[in-house]
Amino acid sequence: MLETLVQAVINGLLIGGIYALVSIGVTLIFGVVKIVNFAQGEFVMIGMYISFFLATQFGVDPLVSLVVSMPVLFIAGVLIQHFLIRRVLGPNDMPQIFLTFALSLLLLNLSLMFFTANYRTVHTSYSDEALHLGGLYIPVAKLIAFAVAMALSGLLWVFLHTTDLGKAMRAASQNRDVAMLMGINPNRVFAVAFGAALALAGAAGSLLMPFYSAYPFVGQVFVLMAFVAVVLGTLGNVIGALIASLMMGVAESLGIQFVGADSGLIVVFAMLLLTLAFKPSGLGARRGR
Amino acid sequence: MQAPAKLTWLWFAIAGVVMIAVPQIISSSFAIDIFIRILLFSFIGVAWNLMGGYAKQLSLGHAAYFGLGAYTSTIMQVNYGISPWIGMIAGGVVAMLASLPIGWLCFRLRGPYFTIATIATAQVLMLIFLKFRDFAWGAEGTTIPNLGSAPLMMQFETKASYYYVVLGLLVVGLWITHLIEKSWMGYYLVAIGEDEDAAEAIGVNAPKIKRDIYLISSFLTALAGTFYTQYIYFIDPATAFSFSVSIEAALVSIVGGIGTLWGPVIGTVLLETTSALLQSWLGSSVGGIQLTVYSLILMAVILWRPTGLIGVATEAYQRYVRRKPAQA
Repeated sequence: MLETLVQAVINGLLIGGIYALVSIGVTLIFGVVKIVNFAQGEFVMIGMYISFFLATQFGVDPLVSLVVSMPVLFIAGVLIQHFLIRRVLGPNDMPQIFLTFALSLLLLNLSLMFFTANYRTVHTSYSDEALHLGGLYIPVAKLIAFAVAMALSGLLWVFLHTTDLGKAMRAASQNRDVAMLMGINPNRVFAVAFGAALALAGAAGSLLMPFYSAYPFVGQVFVLMAFVAVVLGTLGNVIGALIASLMMGVAESLGIQFVGADSGLIVVFAMLLLTLAFKPSGLGARRGR
Repeated sequence: MQAPAKLTWLWFAIAGVVMIAVPQIISSSFAIDIFIRILLFSFIGVAWNLMGGYAKQLSLGHAAYFGLGAYTSTIMQVNYGISPWIGMIAGGVVAMLASLPIGWLCFRLRGPYFTIATIATAQVLMLIFLKFRDFAWGAEGTTIPNLGSAPLMMQFETKASYYYVVLGLLVVGLWITHLIEKSWMGYYLVAIGEDEDAAEAIGVNAPKIKRDIYLISSFLTALAGTFYTQYIYFIDPATAFSFSVSIEAALVSIVGGIGTLWGPVIGTVLLETTSALLQSWLGSSVGGIQLTVYSLILMAVILWRPTGLIGVATEAYQRYVRRKPAQA
């Protein structure tokens, strides 16, 4: 019983690392650019397809294709921010919500047209490998994905806290107007934030590929998790999103283990609704804002 | 700007005659089907627009009420033999009751997070109806017994009759919108949509107004659910709580003109016609093409004309009026 419990927690933490990459991207964009990117999940999907095609066409290992998917999606993010998002920034919610929502619909349905709804998998030498610790079972591919995800999250944290650009991004997220008065160029900061967020989503896609199938709707699973984790971890808070994502992973895994295989989504929604009902400002909320 | 009242009534009379004549003139059941879809989604759009358009509470979860309406009337009909005409009203009431706790939760959030919360509520309802096989047939759904011609059970032999039913629904929806638009409530809604804090500061009871408009909007959406189920003779959680219903409700209003009386109708005409044309050119074999085109239209509207097609038409009209020489 205890072993099952520990095993479920481990499974949850491992997948929670991937959720964290997606949530950190959502919360970074929300914090800095002040919009919710409904299309974040679709960029995970694109990251997966990039890795899938590199693996099947050129035999590139999905983990290696990280060096392709992240820069490609970073540039995509900068371009999307520059040509689309920048035009709808303002006090009005409607254009922002429905622009990124339209982007999500567009990418999803384009991939449905071009890649069909088939599930695509990549089999690597380590896809079936696992570490056995006592009675516990730790799949190598998931462990690597978790480790890289944590390393990337750490890198982002270091970037946000030590570089001038990172500090400018944090300043813009705390108070955009004052940051602009201090000479921070908002367009540059927004573009980097959007690019970085999409690069993280791309990384999540590549890391998933050795043990998860790519299909057009795959992003929806992750973006839903991310939205809940981002509310739970207080909007715009990177560390909060990371911790909440790991919690979401564990909660989902416990739900699957003890309630039933198809209860994952119910657990997610239950957590969202409970958060909304009792702690709408998130677990880490200090002062209302 | 306002056309003289007499002229307006003349236009209404002409439009009314044309709409009533349509099924008599057009015999192709494919074409009638498109008309029914246009009227149905216009009606859903009108219901969404009351809350999403005027008060800018951008819900993407209206499938929740569409599904509740559909399931309430179907359960009453299949299990207890009660007419869907009664079931339709009952479904509306169930939807209104459901909108109270859902609104209580979702209205705690504003902007994009309100939208996400509404998506979640519709998904939760779908999961509930998938899980509970005892009272709602689970994932397989059920077919509605075909009684042939039974107007009292909302079953008709010709598509024309369905057309008139949904035309009636749309007229009711537009009439309610018109009444609200002209009332204090309409102004309160627009005020909330412009700036909720400012509206509250000048004494608008925003929580109450939002709750009331959510009640009306969910009631109307549920009526559409009952109609749709009766029309296709089938119900399952995936169609009743389909995310695409939520999407289309919002899309038609935004594309046509958010927060305007005729916006949802104009938007639906454009989107459904596009969709029908795509289908006849490409067949239904290419998955995703319809929503690809919808999303491109949506992006174009948001980037270039956030006021929608109505906004484009109004601008053109104003330019035309200004160009005319001033009359004494």
